[in-house]
Amino acid sequence: MPLRRSVRLAPIALLLVIAVSLPVPAQTPKSGGVLRTHPLSAPPSLSPHEESTIATVQPASACYNNLIYFDPAKKQEGEGTIIPELAERWSWQDGHRNLVFLLRKNVKWHDGKPFTSQDVKYTFDAVRGAPDAAAKLRVNPRKLWYDNVEHIETPDPHTVVFRLKRPQPSLLLMLASGYSPVYPAHVPLADLKTKCVGTGPFKLKEYRPGEFVELERNPDYFVKGRPYLDGVKWVIVKDRSTQIAALQAGQLDVAGSGWNKANWETAKSGKPDLVTIEASSNVNVNVLVNFKKPPMTDPRVRQAVNLALDRKAYQAGPALGAATFGGAMLPRPAGVWGLPEAEVAKLPGMGDAAKQKTQAKKLLADAGFGASNPLKLTVSTRAIAIYVDPASWMVDQLRQIGVDAVLEQIETGVWHPKMTRLDFQVALNLTGIGIDDPDANFFENFKCGSQRNFSGYCSEDIDRLMVQQSQTLDRAARLKLVNEIDRRLQHEGARPVLGWGKQFYAHWPYVKAFPLHDNSIYNTSRYQDVWLDK
Amino acid sequence: MARVVDTLDLAAPRLPSVAGRRRSAAARFIRRQPLGSAGVVLVAALLATAVLADVLATHDPVRTSSHVLAAPSADFWLGTDNLGRDLYSRVVHGSRISLAIGLASTLLGAVLGGFIGLVSGYVGGTTDLLIQRVMDIMQALPILVLALVLAAALGPSLPNAIVAISIPIVPRAARLIRASVLAIRELAYVEAARALGVRHPRVALRHILPNTMGPFIVLITAQLGGSILVEAALSFLGLGIPEPYPSWGRMLSIAAAEYAEKAPWLVIWPGLAISLAVFGTNLLGDALRDTLDPRLRGS
Amino acid sequence: MRGYVAKRLLIALVTLVGMSMVIFSLMRLAPGNIVDVIFESAGYVDQADKRLLERELGVDRPIPVQYARWIGELLQGDLGKSYRYDMRAWTIIKPRLPVTLELAGLALLFSIVLGVPAGVVSAARQNRPIDYVLRVLSLAGLSMPSFWLGMVIILLFVRSLGWMPSVTYVSPFEDLRANLWQFVVPALAVGYRSSALIMRITRSAMLEVMREDYIRTARAKGQRGTLVVWRHALKNASLPVITLIGIEVAFLIGGLVVTETVFNLPGVARYLVDAIQFRDYPVVQNLVMFIAIVVVLANLTVDVLYAWVDPRIKYGKA
Repeated sequence: MPLRRSVRLAPIALLLVIAVSLPVPAQTPKSGGVLRTHPLSAPPSLSPHEESTIATVQPASACYNNLIYFDPAKKQEGEGTIIPELAERWSWQDGHRNLVFLLRKNVKWHDGKPFTSQDVKYTFDAVRGAPDAAAKLRVNPRKLWYDNVEHIETPDPHTVVFRLKRPQPSLLLMLASGYSPVYPAHVPLADLKTKCVGTGPFKLKEYRPGEFVELERNPDYFVKGRPYLDGVKWVIVKDRSTQIAALQAGQLDVAGSGWNKANWETAKSGKPDLVTIEASSNVNVNVLVNFKKPPMTDPRVRQAVNLALDRKAYQAGPALGAATFGGAMLPRPAGVWGLPEAEVAKLPGMGDAAKQKTQAKKLLADAGFGASNPLKLTVSTRAIAIYVDPASWMVDQLRQIGVDAVLEQIETGVWHPKMTRLDFQVALNLTGIGIDDPDANFFENFKCGSQRNFSGYCSEDIDRLMVQQSQTLDRAARLKLVNEIDRRLQHEGARPVLGWGKQFYAHWPYVKAFPLHDNSIYNTSRYQDVWLDK
Repeated sequence: MARVVDTLDLAAPRLPSVAGRRRSAAARFIRRQPLGSAGVVLVAALLATAVLADVLATHDPVRTSSHVLAAPSADFWLGTDNLGRDLYSRVVHGSRISLAIGLASTLLGAVLGGFIGLVSGYVGGTTDLLIQRVMDIMQALPILVLALVLAAALGPSLPNAIVAISIPIVPRAARLIRASVLAIRELAYVEAARALGVRHPRVALRHILPNTMGPFIVLITAQLGGSILVEAALSFLGLGIPEPYPSWGRMLSIAAAEYAEKAPWLVIWPGLAISLAVFGTNLLGDALRDTLDPRLRGS
Repeated sequence: MRGYVAKRLLIALVTLVGMSMVIFSLMRLAPGNIVDVIFESAGYVDQADKRLLERELGVDRPIPVQYARWIGELLQGDLGKSYRYDMRAWTIIKPRLPVTLELAGLALLFSIVLGVPAGVVSAARQNRPIDYVLRVLSLAGLSMPSFWLGMVIILLFVRSLGWMPSVTYVSPFEDLRANLWQFVVPALAVGYRSSALIMRITRSAMLEVMREDYIRTARAKGQRGTLVVWRHALKNASLPVITLIGIEVAFLIGGLVVTETVFNLPGVARYLVDAIQFRDYPVVQNLVMFIAIVVVLANLTVDVLYAWVDPRIKYGKA
């Protein structure tokens, strides 16, 4: 009878309403399983302090710890998202001139030896190239990050003090980067290239160069109950079509390092079940301009080249629609130090393409080049697809303003030395910045005489401003200075930026808590909170 | 190794004049060699495409556009690549690169090798033995490995690529010409010329060389396909012709595979072009060899 | 026979020595000396390290001494050090050898299994339709770039058949099925090209032999056509085919380089390309020498086999 049926149905309906309106309780992480993923490319070694590529930071991060780290769960990194690792507490003293870390007790290295403040001093003395350092790094790409450190003290086995020459609030962030792990003082540096001895959530199980890096759970990790995973396997898969196919076939759990939008869409279209995630990346495609070699010594030629590179065409072409635009610092909202949008829209190359190309041709004519005397330029780049594609595009753009441009492909092995020697005219380059902070960007890339200042650009004025902003404690005042530096760099064409990139990752639904940050690619590979719902 | 090459070698070319035989040889050729005729057509098409590339192409092969990974359409006959460049125009211009490099390196290797073979065969004795050993050594290394190492040592550029691809042809050409020379050297009329006091170089040039032309042409045609393939492989591995010149091999580099799901035409057409070009030269080479050496007819 | 083998052995040794000299000089063709190159590509910065490198590589000694040192190391089985990975080259090569060996072995097998019967059939049915079809197929195989064939196969197999072998190497002892799944397709891709060569040589060798009088006599005597072909002709045509397998090895190795790259197999050939791209010259030198040794040994084996099959053949006839 109708009444009785509705009476019977009512409690069910009520329960359904309650169930739907209640918040879903967070799932309890399960332990177990091995996460299989791929690095950007084959790591040249396992030692982050001696490399400048994420390919090393990716597998090595699981094995080491920093003093402090960026919270994996917070997408935008910043001073507010720093969490303790080997350091339990820290504090600035003396107007940001001394940074004191109180270290965790009872932490052991993977080989059983105890972790003390000596390890911290050993590591960072080596990295900063201290004259009395116990060890010397063969290659030291981030020496300039610690240029401001005067002395590192260890008053007791669980306290470290960084004494700085001048205030530098950014030091804290640099120590939280994936590029700043703490090394063991009792293991020779050379050994760390092929094996890793850290305090981290995973131990190295096997490293086969060019094939894979396999890590297994560290049962004595100082964070109880972590990691959830039994292991992480970084399988080196050279080309993206195989990476996509491997993910789709279930042989990889997560994939996407180095992917562009087209790869992402291909992966998803083949397997709609895949979870796709996107984030901004602190990697930009830029043009290195050799300030010391004609014809780029002429500011008119530099400006012409910059104007000819139509950023909108770059967006449609090599960037496949996924670029964001800005100056030398990561543009907002992903980055916090970028130039305001209104200013970015007026940068060379951002305006009307036809007009700017005409302008460029005129500038070249002023500089003495024309149809009868075309400017001959060699565009150098690294011999891998992510460099060659935008570089080929750039060659075409230059040819459209009458430049006789050719592409020169340089093998990875000799790329950096060639750039350091300034043995090129213009080059198409990719720069990944360790953390979204002016100190990590400006000193390395634009300071007079910096090894990684691949343009030979030198301005004492800018150098002075760099130091000034580095010690400015007031956030708003610092932003003003940073923008001013950025503005000038763009005006002088010191490393014009074609566009900032994005990260495109895909993983199976059973992978939980996979971290992806909006303003860096280097600081998320520890994977101690990742778990598999299998 | 020597034994098998002898089986395939063209030892005794015809005497005294080749011209009169040419016309009837051509007619015989087409009748008896349907495959060879197909080869002629393919090679002619390749040559025509290379020469008329500017006319046949619809776009500038280097010009990028915003129509990225577009499907074949009225505007872009074979679609576009990941930088918005017209694939059809790139394939058409690629024929120029492949043919030019293939011909240049084959000719370079064949002429150099031929000269060495001529000297080796004519002079004989210890010189011959020594040169033979060196040729053996050069031939023992796999072509691609040799070309790879050379390209890496010399650096990736157009002239270096040509040199790298030509080196493996030298021993093959030397062996061939040497065999011809050995066969002709002993013939009566050559001895007569010597007896009359004609000097060695003149004998070599005027009497021996013209009669090695047959096998030489076959060699060039046969090796042309090989050279095109090696150039493609070098470009594929990133060591060949640099951008922006469109090279079929480089169009097929691993990067093309990553877009293959969205744009399979990027993988199909350049590879088909290489295959057809090499197929044509191989067919032609086979047919020429059959015609110019009756001993091997039917094989 | 003994004298013949001894002679071939001597030739092989002389060839090897010659090749080592060629390889040694090739590596020094690069502009700048080898230390400069390694110094840069391995990312050193400190000039003091350069002197250490020079001593380690022995570059400060005269060229003949360097050469002798290298040969000495090779004879002791020392394959040198990879400066890129900072490891002994042998540590990196060792796990890769089974991959390349398996791929090469399977490819050789396929090339013989496909090529020889095709050549025989083609010769027996000369100028008939089947002959033309087989000739076109084999010529097509020789005309296709091996990496393209690989890419097309992957496109077809992955898209339509969902074939996706393991991304990491699976040993046949661990899981034979997965291993074969991983190797059969690339082996076919390499083997197809080699089979084309074998087919052509088999065919022409068979045709040569079939023209011999004794075959015609046997036919006239009424023995069944196919029987005649298979028993007499094949036995005699086997000589040039066997010899071809020696040349095959060199041809095959070129195909391996490209196929290992396309199919993502972690073999020795792919490592060679890596080492070349990273200017890891000591490794390149040793690997190329290694390949040369393999090729010469293969040819030597083939020559000995040849003599064993036909004792009439002696060195010097060419």
